[in-house]
Amino acid sequence: MTSAKSKAMLTGVFATLLTSTALAGEVNVICSAEQPWCDLMANAFEAENPDTKVLMVRKSTGETLAQIRAEAGNPKVDVWWGGTGDPHLIAAEEDLTQPSGVDTSKLLGWAQNMHDISDGKTVGIYAGALGVAYNVDVLEDKGITPPACWKDLTDPSFAGEIQVANPNSSGTAYTELATFVQLFGEDEAYRLLAEIGKNVNSYTKSGSAPSKAAARGETGISIGFMHGMVKLASDGFPLKIVAPCEGTGYEVGAVSIIKGAKNPEEAKKWVEFALRADIQSRAPETGSFQVPSNSNAEVAEESPELSLIKLIDYDFATYGASETRKRLLARWDKEVKPASN
Amino acid sequence: MNISEWKMSSEVKGAVEFRNVVKKYGSVVALKELTLRIEPKKLVTLLGPSGCGKTTTLRLIAGLESATTGSILIGGEDVTHLSATYRKVSMVFQSYALFPHMTVAENVSYGLTVKGTPKRAALEKAETGLSMVGLAGFGNRLPSELSGGQQQRVAVARAIVLEPEVLLLDEPLSNLDAKLRRHVREEIRQIQQDLGLTAVYVTHDQEEAMAVSDEIVVMKNAEIAQAGTPWDLYERPASAFIADFIGDANLVPCEIVGQNGNETSMRVRERLVSVPGVYDLVNEAQVVLRPHKISVGGTQTPGSFPAEVTYAAYLGNQIQYTVEGPLGHLFVTSEVTAKPARKGDSVFVNFDEQDLRLVA
Amino acid sequence: MKRTLTLWVVTGILGFCIFPWYMTDSGFWSSQTLRDPLVMDSASGLVSIFYHDRWWLFLPLLSLIGVLLVQCLPLRPVLEARLIAGLAIFALSFCALQGLVISRSGPSVFPWLWGEAASSGQPGMGIGAGLFALSALFVLTSSVSHMGRGRGDAFVTGMIGLIVSLVVVFVFYPVLHILVQALQLPGGGYAFSVFASGFFASDIWDLSCLFGGNACGVAINSIFLAVSTGLGTTVLGLAFALFFTRTAFPAKKLLRVLTVIPIITPPFVIGLALILLFGRTGTITEFAADLFGVEKSRWLYGFWGIYFAQMLSFTPIAFLVLIGVVEGVSPSMEEASQTLDANRWQTFRFVSLPLMRPGLANAFLLGFIESLADFGNPLVLGGNYDVLSTEIYYAIVGSVADPARAAILAFTLLLLTLTAFIAQRTWLGKKSYATVTGKADSGQHAALSPMVKRFCYGITLPWAALTAIVYSMIVFGSFVKLWGYNHSFTTEHYVRAFGIDFSDGIRFVGAAWDSYFTTLTISTAAAPLTALIGLATAYLLVRQKFIGKSAFEFGTMLSFAIPGTVIGVSYIMAFNFPPIELTGTSVILIVVFVFRNMPVGVRGGVAAMSQLDKSLDEASLTLGANSFTTVRRVIAPLMGPAMLAALTYSFVRAITSVSAVIFLVSAKHNMATSFIVGRVENGEFGFAIAYSAVLIVTMLAAILGLQFLIGQRRLRRTNRVEGAVAA
Repeated sequence: MTSAKSKAMLTGVFATLLTSTALAGEVNVICSAEQPWCDLMANAFEAENPDTKVLMVRKSTGETLAQIRAEAGNPKVDVWWGGTGDPHLIAAEEDLTQPSGVDTSKLLGWAQNMHDISDGKTVGIYAGALGVAYNVDVLEDKGITPPACWKDLTDPSFAGEIQVANPNSSGTAYTELATFVQLFGEDEAYRLLAEIGKNVNSYTKSGSAPSKAAARGETGISIGFMHGMVKLASDGFPLKIVAPCEGTGYEVGAVSIIKGAKNPEEAKKWVEFALRADIQSRAPETGSFQVPSNSNAEVAEESPELSLIKLIDYDFATYGASETRKRLLARWDKEVKPASN
Repeated sequence: MNISEWKMSSEVKGAVEFRNVVKKYGSVVALKELTLRIEPKKLVTLLGPSGCGKTTTLRLIAGLESATTGSILIGGEDVTHLSATYRKVSMVFQSYALFPHMTVAENVSYGLTVKGTPKRAALEKAETGLSMVGLAGFGNRLPSELSGGQQQRVAVARAIVLEPEVLLLDEPLSNLDAKLRRHVREEIRQIQQDLGLTAVYVTHDQEEAMAVSDEIVVMKNAEIAQAGTPWDLYERPASAFIADFIGDANLVPCEIVGQNGNETSMRVRERLVSVPGVYDLVNEAQVVLRPHKISVGGTQTPGSFPAEVTYAAYLGNQIQYTVEGPLGHLFVTSEVTAKPARKGDSVFVNFDEQDLRLVA
Repeated sequence: MKRTLTLWVVTGILGFCIFPWYMTDSGFWSSQTLRDPLVMDSASGLVSIFYHDRWWLFLPLLSLIGVLLVQCLPLRPVLEARLIAGLAIFALSFCALQGLVISRSGPSVFPWLWGEAASSGQPGMGIGAGLFALSALFVLTSSVSHMGRGRGDAFVTGMIGLIVSLVVVFVFYPVLHILVQALQLPGGGYAFSVFASGFFASDIWDLSCLFGGNACGVAINSIFLAVSTGLGTTVLGLAFALFFTRTAFPAKKLLRVLTVIPIITPPFVIGLALILLFGRTGTITEFAADLFGVEKSRWLYGFWGIYFAQMLSFTPIAFLVLIGVVEGVSPSMEEASQTLDANRWQTFRFVSLPLMRPGLANAFLLGFIESLADFGNPLVLGGNYDVLSTEIYYAIVGSVADPARAAILAFTLLLLTLTAFIAQRTWLGKKSYATVTGKADSGQHAALSPMVKRFCYGITLPWAALTAIVYSMIVFGSFVKLWGYNHSFTTEHYVRAFGIDFSDGIRFVGAAWDSYFTTLTISTAAAPLTALIGLATAYLLVRQKFIGKSAFEFGTMLSFAIPGTVIGVSYIMAFNFPPIELTGTSVILIVVFVFRNMPVGVRGGVAAMSQLDKSLDEASLTLGANSFTTVRRVIAPLMGPAMLAALTYSFVRAITSVSAVIFLVSAKHNMATSFIVGRVENGEFGFAIAYSAVLIVTMLAAILGLQFLIGQRRLRRTNRVEGAVAA
């Protein structure tokens, strides 16, 4: 058999293969948002595209990143939807994702920014501001005045009452660390963090754990993303949310298409779908109170009104880069962690 | 199929042969260069103290161990590398090894069914086998519902229904009481002869070996000490070990003084005696005196030695003495007489030089 | 005998020529080849050679054909066997080599050698390649048996070959992927210094907390926790074992259930329940504060909380090990001691307790290993107390992924397990502790001395009460709206998880159904395989002698000693690419369960097999049965209880394990535990607890069903025998 002939056959074979896959019509999605929201998205997508089956599994961002790294070159996943933006940016930096080529003109600035700094490999879908929450009952019990600013947290009256995650394991806590550095300058930030550390009762592994602990009164005060706190408060827990007076940072939830995705067309369809205003407006149905990225999407009443919060101009390009990250974390390990009790 | 037909089909069964077989477990030598031939249709006993290699020999025939070097032949065929499954031998175990979850009939027919005999035919044959060992009608019992002797017979029946070329028995009677032992060993011998089987029988009991065997192979320290018929071993022991191991023996030191044609002469204490046969021995040797070949009397006779009775026991059919004299401790059995010697008596012991055997 | 070999050669050649050599899109079992044999991805090996220019596949085929030729030649048997073995080894190793070298992206070494067809790469191996490799393996083992190895038994050599290959492929190969990273430089390349500097870092071995410092290294923390848990569960387990065998407490049966439930509880659930009960605002803490004015504190978060949760979780395992041992102590030895004028305490202290030493050592070892590998409890209750298992997890998934650190920590953990394993062996030494001799033993166990009895009651009863409270609270929590805040009764959690819509036929609308069915399917598939491979391995270890047996034994223990997270990631790294591509399938989940839980089947099988007299197998062999028939008709029926235990355990572990599967689950094959963890992260405690409760009930039902099935079979036999005797 000549090589030309075999090549022609090869193409033919691949063509048949591709069409057969396309006919099967499926898209593999890893969802890193909350489960009910994941389910809502999958159902809505399938309702609109009855030919396409959505195969979705929920995994945390860290797990997802570890998985797509291990699978690099032969991915089993098409789209990674939801979850904080940093790991999405790392994936883009490590060339694990590919540009989606979607239209971002309807999106808010921070979402477009995400798209630009990653060369189009990831797009913002929601934003959530960093905040402080306190358990009303606990603080009343102990007669402690609730904090209003980051700096208040250094007050010795909060000793053993503050809980925050460890930035080595949690993206939430890393956002906090980066926010402090951007707000106060690096040296001052570490001094403050170490000072606050004296009041911290434990650095948890998971970023959402402190607020859950605060909701149940296991700790008095937590640092985390506001939308999670809003959800807990709406569930009935005695939680009050504080937007620190100095201003605060925020995370951008993102969506990316995995490099070498087996179903690129469906994957793109999913990204376009996820950016639509009517779809984003439905998030609050499932108790997800992040701020949507599409400028036309409705914002839930419960959502923390970003316009009322003093948001810093978070530099995702700098603080999302692995180099900065490693340096900041190493310094945190040296200066902040040992200061805790 | 009846018993006589079995006999017919067993005509062709063969011999067992070991050629320079060595068996080592790591650095421990269990068998040193064993060469041995077991004739067809004979019952050969492997006899010896624990750890002498007799069970290893048996397991090598069964294929449960593989030889380190050398070769093993069964019926003229080299089976050294053949697994136990494909050897035409079956074995009766010391612990009987009856399968506790199968009935007696299932146990006996097991070997037949694994070889593809239809279940009905196998059960019929099992019943024949059971009736041969006197257990007809016990087929539906579980082994745990049988006595020790019955279990033992089931084990024998299970082995013989396969019509093996060679039947192996590993201390089959050691778990039975003394009376039952004699009975069962007679039965085993009877069946072996009826079916014309080659049988290899392991035991450490010399009386049992003498009673059942065509030939006995005595083993010691991983090699053969002597092989021969029971008569050979008893009457012509090749070593002090054999003399002592087969039957009771008094060993008395002697000094060889010369070879004279077909006779060997020597000195036992001050008495000069000669025994038939030429022995490859120099100077120091021992004579074997069987207890029942020694006479104990009150009067001196030519060649007798004085002695003192240190122990006397009346056993009904015989009297046992231990006497002390110039020949050392002697164990003597004598017929019951009207006036037996008593402990402390001075007596004279004597022997016929025809009854002496010489060993190293 | 020769027929077996020829049969395998023919099977291999058929596998090569008929079945799809590569894995197809629809998995292993594509029937597409039969319909369209020339399509590249589902082509058989033969078609691949001649139609797709994959000439290199011709070599393995040639060597199997060579085997047929060698068989026809008039050669000495041993020489023939050697030649055949050589050909089979070539076929196998070349098969593996070409698979490893020519991956999806083309050949990785000597690209000029393989030709143009290779540059487009090849997918993972499929059923054809699998069948071919299996046949070649059995040709090899059969020829080895023809050389007189393994007492000339092809079944035994085949089984050794098969299990060794499985362990190499599914344990060593993936684990190597992870451990190699311990030596990897950040920019690529390898150096031992990377390992050395990481391994001896102070954050692993720091002892400063002992001298008033802040915190110890993770390894020290882990050792401290594991030793405490090992000792604690052993003492508690012993107290329970004595309680059930040597006392006449009335409600024993009821308490017995409490000793089983923690084993079948999904992880996270106990930790969660403890927070809700003993946390700073937990039910019991509030109660104690109101009643006695006890200061509400956060003692639960840290060492004491993990220790408490692990004691609850692992005491039943120690108990199960010890109850057999306590029952096994021969009464006549205790009676002998008492006739020698020892009192009950002395008898216990100097006779019974020393005889239980192997059991105590085993219980400690299991508690130690379980504690080291435990991931759920430290995650939920750890606070600032870092242990190896969670550190490894976050070295892989944390905000800065550090595979080298993960590998080094995994290595450390493995080292600790090994040390414990060796220490246990040394302590037990070569003394004999056998008290079951097969002779009927009709004596009576000595009663406990009053002191020991008070100790047993004093420990077991409060502990049982605590377990009962924890579990009733779990049930309670699944039926209230918001535990701790809104205690109005609701079945909402169950409806959301397991709702069924009857309006239009039966539709399983509950959110949990999908993962519930997958979990059951995969566990049901994995359990018998695990039991089979575990018991087969036990058979080889106890009954067969072969070179490298102790290395083999260690290999089978390896996957148990490595934390699940590491296994999970190593499985992705090893099995996402050709030659063996399993990620995203249900096969990878089944495989991971089988090889992770196999060691327990092995241990149980070894114990049970040691009690079966070896002459039973030998009797069967000399009666003309081959080893396979012997195993099937003699050994397997007598191993009923061990089989039941292995089946139950592997079923339960497949349902409750979480760390190993977190990376391996996919949308099509999601497992209950990883689903529950997601819910816990989302704060839906009621939902998570309701789901867990359903899982617990499912497992209980399965255990009882299995017991009923296997127990029933034994009964029928006795009945029949009784009838026969009566007639």
